[in-house]
Amino acid sequence: MTEEKKPEERKKRRTATEAASRIGPMVKATIGGTVQAREEGKPIAYSFICCCYDEIIRAMDIVPVWTENYAGVCGAKRDAQRFLERAEAENFSRSLCTYALCGLGFDAWREELGEMPPESPWGGQARPDMMLGSGQMLCDPRNKWYQASQRYMPDVPVYDVGLPWPPYEDDYDYREVQDYYVKYIVEELKGLVQFLEKHTGRKMDWDRLSELVDLADRTWNLIWETYELRKAVPTPMGTGDAMNTMVPMVFMMGTQEAYDFYKELNDELKHKIANKEGEIPDEKYRLIWGGGLPAWFALTDFNYFNNKGAVFPVETTYRMVEAIYHFDIDLSKITDPLEHVAWRWVKFWTYWYDKAKKRPGSHPDVERLIQYIEDYKIDGIVMHEAFSCRSWHVGLIWQLNQLKKVYRDIPSLILESDIVDISSYNEADTRARIDAFIDTLEAVKSRGR
Amino acid sequence: MGRKTKVKNREGLGGKTTENRGWGSKIAMVYIAGIDIGSAFSKAVVMAKNEIISYHVMPSGGDYKLAAEQVAGEALAKAKLSLKDLAYTVATGYGAANVSFSNQAVTDISCQGRGIFYLFPSARTVIDIGGQFTKVFKVDERGRAIAFLQSEKCAAGSGRFLQIIARVLQIDLEDIGDLSMKSQNRVDFNTGCAVFAESEAISRIAEGAAKEDILAGLHRTLAAKIQTMVERIGIEPDCAVVGGGAKDIGLVKSIEERLGCSLLLPEEPQIVAALGAALIAGEKVSH
Ligand code: SF4
Repeated sequence: MTEEKKPEERKKRRTATEAASRIGPMVKATIGGTVQAREEGKPIAYSFICCCYDEIIRAMDIVPVWTENYAGVCGAKRDAQRFLERAEAENFSRSLCTYALCGLGFDAWREELGEMPPESPWGGQARPDMMLGSGQMLCDPRNKWYQASQRYMPDVPVYDVGLPWPPYEDDYDYREVQDYYVKYIVEELKGLVQFLEKHTGRKMDWDRLSELVDLADRTWNLIWETYELRKAVPTPMGTGDAMNTMVPMVFMMGTQEAYDFYKELNDELKHKIANKEGEIPDEKYRLIWGGGLPAWFALTDFNYFNNKGAVFPVETTYRMVEAIYHFDIDLSKITDPLEHVAWRWVKFWTYWYDKAKKRPGSHPDVERLIQYIEDYKIDGIVMHEAFSCRSWHVGLIWQLNQLKKVYRDIPSLILESDIVDISSYNEADTRARIDAFIDTLEAVKSRGR
Repeated sequence: MGRKTKVKNREGLGGKTTENRGWGSKIAMVYIAGIDIGSAFSKAVVMAKNEIISYHVMPSGGDYKLAAEQVAGEALAKAKLSLKDLAYTVATGYGAANVSFSNQAVTDISCQGRGIFYLFPSARTVIDIGGQFTKVFKVDERGRAIAFLQSEKCAAGSGRFLQIIARVLQIDLEDIGDLSMKSQNRVDFNTGCAVFAESEAISRIAEGAAKEDILAGLHRTLAAKIQTMVERIGIEPDCAVVGGGAKDIGLVKSIEERLGCSLLLPEEPQIVAALGAALIAGEKVSH
């Protein structure tokens, strides 16, 4: 068994917004709440973010345990290595997704002990009653992780929701096939509801589900409007904070708390803008976090950028919403909640398709970058290649190349490490790269002067 | 003294010049220095009147602070000077923070850009093959780095790759270049990974392959990695190569072959960042 030293606790990242500073305690309380829910016998489900089933589990009062979130917390607390090592000792390859490895290592350990591993971050990851996979393009763990967890919890059933969306091609209109995708997803979600009813002995309250779906729609719009406020110069909030404020978006969707959180953030940002209060006092370079999950153990790198006069008014990572009222269909007319959710899903992922088609050689992801670069007055682009996650990181370099071809050459920096595995990270090297990048930004800016 | 490798009518390092390319021509004997503490080697350049008057290169070892003192001490001794004679010192490189006697630290990319501009004002793309990483960057018409790319963290794209193989083949690092040029029958490697290449090299030795053929194959592998980086950033002529890896003539030839163009090569490619640091120091005293 892996016995480990006490983790090296990390200095907290400095936040710009009061809202972001509340997230840590919120996540801690939520994770603590899941452990307590287990003791109280409430049904608990291992869940994935961006899953389409947020409102479904909320409507049935099932308590989600967001396993990616827990792995991220272990990473942020620099206490993931012992769980990764445990997974490796169980013969899982170290090159797999480290969220999955961390979770599997944790589960193996917890199941062996019959209790939480010693000094588990924030009380540990509660044992589930069911596990809800959420398969998406390219990501194997979202299908296979929970099946692998059954090795340690053979009694815990898994339901795997397939969530496809029409792929982008520049020579066809995805609308030709979108109905089939929606139909497929609706069937998947119906199956999920039956599965949950069977394993909880509860019946779905369809009216409540509809209310929560409507609440989630309103939350999407509110988030979109709130994040758009960051266009202001100086920007009131950067990506470092957004890596916190994404929590209600991806872990609490379909709850009133999530809506209220963004309402408060919206007010706070408006207040800051009115007072010309930027994330940093002297904003020199405006950057976009153009792709890649963050290194959770190195979020202070955002402060390092700040110290150099750089801010990130926008990011593509975890901006998992669009304004519903911008979709090309009127979602309010789709009253069946499962169908509604399925359409929202398909419309979200295809949102940039039409724009991309208008620019030869472009691509939806590239088009989104271009739009943000223009809207947020961006000087440079930073991406992070986390070695262990294919789904979010495949194609980043290609996107940069296309951006250069179809739009313009913009200074770029690619950071390398991982989401959870700190052994992949070298602070001195990362910061030397940031320094060099800032030099190039300055040189490019001064050429334009 | 400039080496004319691929250089058309261009003076090399330390060459006399009538052009006013910097600060020194305006002022009388003011000594300045650039110190580059790299992960593998430390370099110091002492200048006066826009000319190099001495330099020194030595392994960094484990103590960067000591390396900084020693490398500066050696370079200064060659010029019959001491630390107190220096009007301004700029430090750069991985261990720049350890140069306690410097006035300022500047990123190595800015120093390389400045140094290369002094040597080859026409260079627009620079390949820097260092001990830990390879960097490719673009410089503008004033020697300012305007884009850069760094190799992945693994050894495959950097000088470390050659260090690993030199150990396996039991040859000195400095001999790799000339030896590889004797290759008649290059051994092609199936891998770009340094760890796999090490075991592949061992198997090839066991099969009786000549060291020079193995080295030529490795150069090709390394050159292919570097070519990818150059293509990603987009090559713009002239293209120069600097850093410790550029002392390996076999590697330089391989890169030229892959890129299909000649490379500008300073006579002492390892000291370009230190030179740039010294030039930046010079600009400080002249302002
Ligand atoms: S998307 Fe990436 S980080 Fe998330 S589960 Fe899949 S592989 Fe892991």
